[in-house]
Amino acid sequence: MKDFFRNNGFLILIAAVLLAAVTAVGSYVLQGVPNPLENILGVVTTPVRNGISALAGWAEGIYNYSFHYDELQAENERLRSELARLQESARDAEAAVKENERLRELLGLREQRRELTFESATITSRSTSNWASTMTLSKGSDQGVAAGDCVVDAAGNLVGIIETAGSNWSTMITVVDATLEMGALLSRTESIAILEGDFTLMAQGRLKLTYLPESTELLTGDLVLTSGLGGNYPSDLVVGSIESIHTDASGMSRYAVIAPSADLDSLVQVFIIKEFDIVE
Amino acid sequence: MTRQDHIWKWTLYALALLPVWWLDVFVLNRFPLFGVSPMLLPVAAVTVAVLEGTAAGAGFGLGVGILCDAVYYGGWGGMTLGLCLLGWGAGAAAQYALRRGFGGCLLCSAAALAVIDAARVVQGLFTGLAPLPALLRVAVPELLWSLCFVCLLYPWFSWVRRRIIKFLRL
Repeated sequence: MKDFFRNNGFLILIAAVLLAAVTAVGSYVLQGVPNPLENILGVVTTPVRNGISALAGWAEGIYNYSFHYDELQAENERLRSELARLQESARDAEAAVKENERLRELLGLREQRRELTFESATITSRSTSNWASTMTLSKGSDQGVAAGDCVVDAAGNLVGIIETAGSNWSTMITVVDATLEMGALLSRTESIAILEGDFTLMAQGRLKLTYLPESTELLTGDLVLTSGLGGNYPSDLVVGSIESIHTDASGMSRYAVIAPSADLDSLVQVFIIKEFDIVE
Repeated sequence: MTRQDHIWKWTLYALALLPVWWLDVFVLNRFPLFGVSPMLLPVAAVTVAVLEGTAAGAGFGLGVGILCDAVYYGGWGGMTLGLCLLGWGAGAAAQYALRRGFGGCLLCSAAALAVIDAARVVQGLFTGLAPLPALLRVAVPELLWSLCFVCLLYPWFSWVRRRIIKFLRL
């Protein structure tokens, strides 16, 4: 033991303390930006992650084809009928949009236009810790991605928020992560509330809607959107719907459990909102 | 051992760590058991420390700690110092108090994982992340599930060590 201390121990310990201190100071100072070591590791491992992700997708495809052929066939038929129904809805919606535009012009209302700039990205790895719900994406600051950018799926449902942007990769906390907090808008009642991640609900893939106005009437299935208040995040991104309504331990206020609209487990591709502009 | 032997030895240990890292970061987190994924990197650091002793354990722990801080979300430098100390502690325990075998590795791994999870629980309580029962519902299964992988990692690194000894003709 003495030999250890005399020969190597102090040097290694001092190196560990220095490195830990540099990392700690770096992570504190560079919030939202990875430290150089983390960034280099991310840059080097991104192609590996991409490859593994593609390989896993291919293997999953083969597995599904082999063992779930009947299910896939049934799902295919169901999707065909759904596609036909959606195409019909789309035609109706197109007509409604045109009618809406005409009515807006007629009424002289100012059109509220939101311009979103998207960057598509693939999910290269998922949570590496049981203590947070995160995903690593294939795009980073080189593509204009920055900490705080919202991430949505192909249907426009909110998936998460960029936490750290490396050069060609970024880490995102998902909507169910315990640290998430953002303004919300109840679509039906237009009430404002707060969306909060909850550690206990995170394992179930759910989050909380809190600070609900007393007068607000809540119904299961009510759609929850981002409020966009404060200008940090775009408004009207679909977060999820109310699954259940509860009274908190004090019995003084209510909260709702929200089921995210985005399917976090099977997501492969996402879209990062790099810029948004609200013109009223 | 010459300087070149040392370089070869630790290069081979680093290469042996690659599949463990790959399994930890890309595979096992896709298939959580009881809602949790295991932590393999700290177990790998402790296993090598048990096999190689205090100084080597501290050095390898330092390297693995840096890797943990880089790949695990929310790393802030704690694992760098923590795994260095745990590597040193595991090496010392195996060298002076326990036998350098599977049993010693299991005990050291359990102790190291308990320290890491206890630190996370305390941090969670301190930051108001969740109440104690909720934190324990993650920490305890994580510890037990990670501990199961000693059965895989100890034979793996023992084999690597035997190959290193043979390769370097020590």
